[in-house]
Amino acid sequence: MTPEERLALAERVLARSHAGGTEVTIVANNQALTRFTHESVSQNVDEGDVSVRVRAIVDGRSGVAATNVLDDAALDAVVARAAEIAGFAPRESIPPSLAGPATVASPAGAFVDATAPASPGRRAEIASAVFERARDNQLWSSGYVTTSSGSITIATSNGARMAFDGTDAGVNVKMNGSDATGFAERYSNDIGVLDGAAIGARAARKAVASREPVAVDPGEWTVILEPPAIGELLRFLTSHFSAETYSDGSSFITGKLRTSVLGENVTIFDDYAHRLNPGMPFDFEGVPTQRLALVKSGVAENIVTDSTWAKRLDVPNTGHALPAPNASGPQSNATVVEAGVKPIEQLIAETKRGLLITRLWYVRNVDQRAAILTGMTRDGTFLIEDGKLTRGIRNMRFNESIVAALRACEFASVQERTGGYSYSLVTPAVKFDRFRFASTSPY
Amino acid sequence: MEFAAHAERVLDTAAAKGADYCDVRFERTRSERVEVRNGDVSGLADERSDGYGIRALVNGAWGFTSSNGFGDAALDAAAARAVAIARASAAIAAYRIGEAPSDAYVDAFATPVLRDPQSVSVGERVALLLDAERALHAAPSIAVGRAWMDLWRTEKFFYSSIGSRIGQTIVQSGSGMSALAVGNGDAQMRMWPGDRGLYQGGGWEIVEAAQLRENAQRTGEEAHQLLSAPQCPSGVMDIVLGGSQVSLQIHESCGHAAELDRVMGWEANFSGTSFLTPAELGTLKYGSDLVTIEIDNTLARGIASVGYDDEGTKSVRADVIRRGLLTGFETSRDTARTIGRSSNACVRAQSWRHVPMIRMCNLNLLPGTTPFDGLFEGIKHGVYMEANRSWSIDDRRLNFQFGCQIGWEITNGKRGRMLKNPTYAGVTPQFWNSCDAIGDAASWFAWGTPNCGKGEPMQTGRTTQAAAPARFRNVTVGVGYDA
Repeated sequence: MTPEERLALAERVLARSHAGGTEVTIVANNQALTRFTHESVSQNVDEGDVSVRVRAIVDGRSGVAATNVLDDAALDAVVARAAEIAGFAPRESIPPSLAGPATVASPAGAFVDATAPASPGRRAEIASAVFERARDNQLWSSGYVTTSSGSITIATSNGARMAFDGTDAGVNVKMNGSDATGFAERYSNDIGVLDGAAIGARAARKAVASREPVAVDPGEWTVILEPPAIGELLRFLTSHFSAETYSDGSSFITGKLRTSVLGENVTIFDDYAHRLNPGMPFDFEGVPTQRLALVKSGVAENIVTDSTWAKRLDVPNTGHALPAPNASGPQSNATVVEAGVKPIEQLIAETKRGLLITRLWYVRNVDQRAAILTGMTRDGTFLIEDGKLTRGIRNMRFNESIVAALRACEFASVQERTGGYSYSLVTPAVKFDRFRFASTSPY
Repeated sequence: MEFAAHAERVLDTAAAKGADYCDVRFERTRSERVEVRNGDVSGLADERSDGYGIRALVNGAWGFTSSNGFGDAALDAAAARAVAIARASAAIAAYRIGEAPSDAYVDAFATPVLRDPQSVSVGERVALLLDAERALHAAPSIAVGRAWMDLWRTEKFFYSSIGSRIGQTIVQSGSGMSALAVGNGDAQMRMWPGDRGLYQGGGWEIVEAAQLRENAQRTGEEAHQLLSAPQCPSGVMDIVLGGSQVSLQIHESCGHAAELDRVMGWEANFSGTSFLTPAELGTLKYGSDLVTIEIDNTLARGIASVGYDDEGTKSVRADVIRRGLLTGFETSRDTARTIGRSSNACVRAQSWRHVPMIRMCNLNLLPGTTPFDGLFEGIKHGVYMEANRSWSIDDRRLNFQFGCQIGWEITNGKRGRMLKNPTYAGVTPQFWNSCDAIGDAASWFAWGTPNCGKGEPMQTGRTTQAAAPARFRNVTVGVGYDA
């Protein structure tokens, strides 16, 4: 669906509404994903949908209705239902509002022409290159090749008309041996940069290098986390910078804005326009998103807000609303960690005894307020002795406060994009002086 | 049956394009949600989604596509696309994954519903949540109260090229509430019921069964009391887990471990694999003799109860663990064939848009014979824990660490003072082998989870793990707070 078609559809919906205020969101998504295991395709999908979401504001109350049926009768019904259910709510303590006119440019590189129409054959070519690296190393591969396109148009009765089109692509590979595994990934808006052979080779090198892993004692270790590993921790950190968690007291920075909370070499942005991860320049209320420093040189600088929380706290709206209805408050979702000065090889060389961790798994909050997290290492964990990677080790469970860890750390000099379930962010590898492990797995 | 003409067109087109087998699943869903936060209605939504997903098999390889276009051209294009994707899969396959099924059904199913949620006005739904949320504020420390409900209805029509014609109407409902207390430099949350609300198959009667109004004040009071409760001790000791936490323990350490696609490596890069293998069927001592865990996709009020799964396989009951021994896996047609068995109908898709895959459905720990109070007998020093708040397990489902919202000290067989931040950790088979008492049928309950994640692209599944409270011996307690 082109931007013009989406806008025309949004106008058709707006014209049907008699509510005091109306917001229309048109979302058109398509995702194709080739998933493989043991050098065969186990799932190969191409999923698409177009939906219309209407938020109606009636006398200080709001209701949301949505449909993916786009005929006139369905559009009439969705508009009427949004207004009808709004009438059942009491007036909200913070009157709901709508975005007005604004102009914002999509960041460079957000939409790449070659990505959206990529065929299943193109994905198969990339997967085949991974398969070759598996066979070369007597390993078996598992992973996926994906391409997607996503489009959104938001129009309000206050005059907002916002549109964004983006693409994305990725290769995610785990190489499996008899007693060790290795992982590598690459994500980009441009399918042209995905090199199945290179990603497959990187994952294979890790699987081979970590063969015959040995157990080491849990306890405190110096660790170096590659981007897929630190990314799993950072996604839990950023929720503390929501106006909601800040306000309700469950954030570690509650009451600590403009004070030092992390190491002075830690700077974290929320930046939808970063060259490695360009994305949507406005939020789901149609408000332009501000590019913010969440932490600058260790000091908590900003929290993110939406229209409701900006009014509630009497602070600017930073444009970080989630899709309505949203009871979870605003969220930072374009994390960018500033790079340090040393390459990861130097961080390893400067480590007397420590661990290099490729990836973490099943990270969860143990204690939200203290930001204590637990999780497991996976797919390539190595012992560092006298500045050299010496051998693979068995996986371990950690329990550590991400806040405490980021008070004594050093980031590497190269940023990478990493992603996982529900997040995509940019970060370099990081060295933590102290990281606590509770137990060791049998593998 | 609805969509028959559309289905015929899809199946004919797929056959003409060279599919060896094809099925198409039309769905019409309605999802209603109400959420209240601190006296405001923070979410009031009614969403409709119609569409279909097509699976095509070519030379032993699958292709899947989905669409919400119902015109002839859109149906033809989608069918052709599914076949083209399957052909691309086949071109790089090292072995054949799929085979056409041989069993076809013409049948219908509907979730038993005592009271249609549509008979309850939006105003009544909102009033219930506002009342309950208000009562959560039992102390000034309650910074955030929330209450929510979800009402889901799915009409599903499955057609296959070998003659299946299956219509199903699935109704699922749920509600819950939470209180966040903040003070003393701490934040503590309590939820009710269980750890995410009560989610089951059925209508408004499921919302009523949650008894939100009746339990709101106590829930708020417990959150407040946790702020000044002592820290759960650390060490090796006996524990009793509440029913919803046992449900989570089954889910994470048995349910996912026994998914045969994981065992075969189909989830290796993301959700992981499993410590279980087909070679261990009938020999692996997964748990104590008290532990029997079975698939039952016919369970009354099971949120995953259906007549047929999304491959068109009829729902069954099947063992996974029988008296402690590994006896089966959760399977699809393709995976079951590799171990010489038939599918036990554990294939689901999140929606019409998503590809069907093995999902944990209703997987239940059968009740024991011990009355609830009897679970504490014989414990000299231990902890009773309720309601999950933290869950993590490794990618083979062995090394786990779970935390609960609330605990109580157990001393000489009696439940004593409240404890905050209770956690425990272990290794799956050792843990289940340490189970020496399971609550009786009176304490057995169908706990539903509405948001189980798996797959790439990620899908959210709805699953029930019916369970009773249970006792476990010599467990590592207090992990994460012991430094």
